[in-house]
Formats: sequence, C-alpha cells, structure tokens
Amino acid sequence: MEDQLTLYGHSFSSRLILGTARYESPMQLADAIRRANPAMLTVSLRRQLPGKKEAGQAFWNLLRETGKTILPNTAGCHSVHEAVTTACMARELFETNLLKLEVIGDEMNLQPDPFALVDATVELIKLGFQVFPYCTEDWVLCRRLMDAGCEVLMPWAAPIGTGQGPRNPTALQELRKRAPHIPLIVDAGLGIPSHACQVMEWGFDGVLLNTAVSRALDPVRMAGAFAAAVAAGRDAYRAGPMPVQEFAVPSTPDVGRPFTHCVDFIQHSYQAEEKRP
Amino acid sequence: MSVIVNGEIHSLSEPQTLAALLCALAPAPPFAVARNEEFIPRATYEECRLSTGDRIDIVHPTVGG
Repeated sequence: MEDQLTLYGHSFSSRLILGTARYESPMQLADAIRRANPAMLTVSLRRQLPGKKEAGQAFWNLLRETGKTILPNTAGCHSVHEAVTTACMARELFETNLLKLEVIGDEMNLQPDPFALVDATVELIKLGFQVFPYCTEDWVLCRRLMDAGCEVLMPWAAPIGTGQGPRNPTALQELRKRAPHIPLIVDAGLGIPSHACQVMEWGFDGVLLNTAVSRALDPVRMAGAFAAAVAAGRDAYRAGPMPVQEFAVPSTPDVGRPFTHCVDFIQHSYQAEEKRP
Repeated sequence: MSVIVNGEIHSLSEPQTLAALLCALAPAPPFAVARNEEFIPRATYEECRLSTGDRIDIVHPTVGG
C-alpha cells in the first residue's frame, strides 16, 4: 500500500510542501514545481498595486495549472486580529479552509509569537479553518496547539530563510517521540537536502521549503534534489535504522576466514614444543 | 469625503458603498477586501456603506513561503 501523508483528510503521496516565493521568474517557479512534485504549494496575499493589477491574476492562473493543493499563509502578521482578518481574506480568495498560520513575534529571527499563535488558532478553528501552525519545537506550545484542535504542527528547524538546518536536533526528536501520532512538518530553516533527509529519518512526516530551493543557483535541480532527499529519508525511517553500537562489529563473517589455520597450526606447534621433555 | 485605499487617499464625491467604490476602481479579480482591518465578505459589498477615513485594503494572490 502506498505511503500516504494525510492532513485534515487530504491525502498526498508527496511529503514535500513547496513555497512559491523568491524565484527569478514564474517560469522557473513552474519548472521547480514540476520537478519537486510537491503535495502542496504555499501562497500569500498582498495589496493590489496600481499598474500591477494583472500580476495576481497571472499567478492565480499559474497555480491552477499546477493542479496542486493550495496552502495560503498569513505571513507578516504580528497580531491575532491581523492573522484572523488575513485568514478570512485568504479563504475567500483561494477558496480553501487550509491555512498556514504565521504570527510573528520577533523581527530579527521571525520567530512565532507562541501566545498569539495559540489565541489565533483557537479563533480560526472556531471559524472552520484547518490550521497548520508555524511554531517552535517547544513541547508545551505544541501541546496547547493540539488541545486547540490542530491536526498537524509545523515546528521550525531554524529561523525562516537562514538555511541553517535543525538548530535543536534533540528537542525536535523529543517532540517527535512525545507527539507520535500527529503529523509533524518541519517548516523553515532547512538549507540543503541532507537537512530534509535527516528530519525525515527522525520520523517527521514532511518538510516545507521555500528559500532553500528558490535561492539555489539552479532552483529546478535543487527542487529535484530535495524531493529525492525527502523520499530517501522517509524510506529510511520506515525501513528502521540499525541501532548505533559503541564498538566495532565486523560486517564480513568471521567463519571461514582464510589463513586462520596457519595461526592455529603455529600455536599448536609451539605448545607441543614447550611440552616436550 | 475621502477613504484610504491600499495606503493612498482616495476622494469620493458623495458617500457610497464598497460595491460602488470597487466598481470605480475595477480591481483585477481575484481579490478580497478588508475595511478598517475587518474582512468584508464578497456577498456584503453592496450593503457596506463607507465612512470618511475608512481604510480599505484590496488584496490579491501573491507568492509566499
């Protein structure tokens, strides 16, 4: 049976969610989407500026042509009120209840505001949204989000756009152990495919990427590299990695190793010599 | 009277509804609207009467992470 990722009742064969920002051109974005074949695409909304009225329409058409599930975000929101209003506009615009909820608490590292995040989640779930909260790996925060009704959590690996990879591997792995049943998507801070592979090997259910793909020298090639890394990490997790050993264990069988008879023979001869009167 | 549309002052000759303002501005679809940072559902544009100083945000789809 195919290994499916199910989020709020939507099933996906891919475990990669791809952001659509910071590509050099719409064509490059479209090519990267084709190469990554992601489960979902994250999108946003911004003011329609005079002289650029048609830009939104062109992007909307590109999204529809991909046939991918759309995950709107509330990027840039700093309060519960801003996040809820943005979410409502996104729902009408993109015709979906799915929402990547971002409530930023710090401008320097774009860290989520955990208090506002929980409050906004409670309000949005009451309004019928299916919330994907961008959160930290803090266990109590994650528990509050689950209590609020989240069916998926999206802890960061590192601050958005940094490409640092998992900053706190121990806490991320601990979160995975303490929340074994809820889908966990690592969102933000991954830089290279081995980071994605690593968190998938730890048992995370998926990754959300943007800058790591779009700011690569060759974003289309990197999209493919990440897709392969996510699949490899997932396979490795399902295969069950070997337990780590403290000391060396030979992998080649010892039985039948050549030249051992020489040692036995020599030792036997010496022993026989010593016993001679 | 005047309202603020996407951060720019916009003069109106007479009080009007959000629907009339949007008819005049003709934003390219798809778009969504907030007034004074409150979401205004599309179905209620006709009944949404504007007051002077109202802040209108008209947003459209864009790239995001």
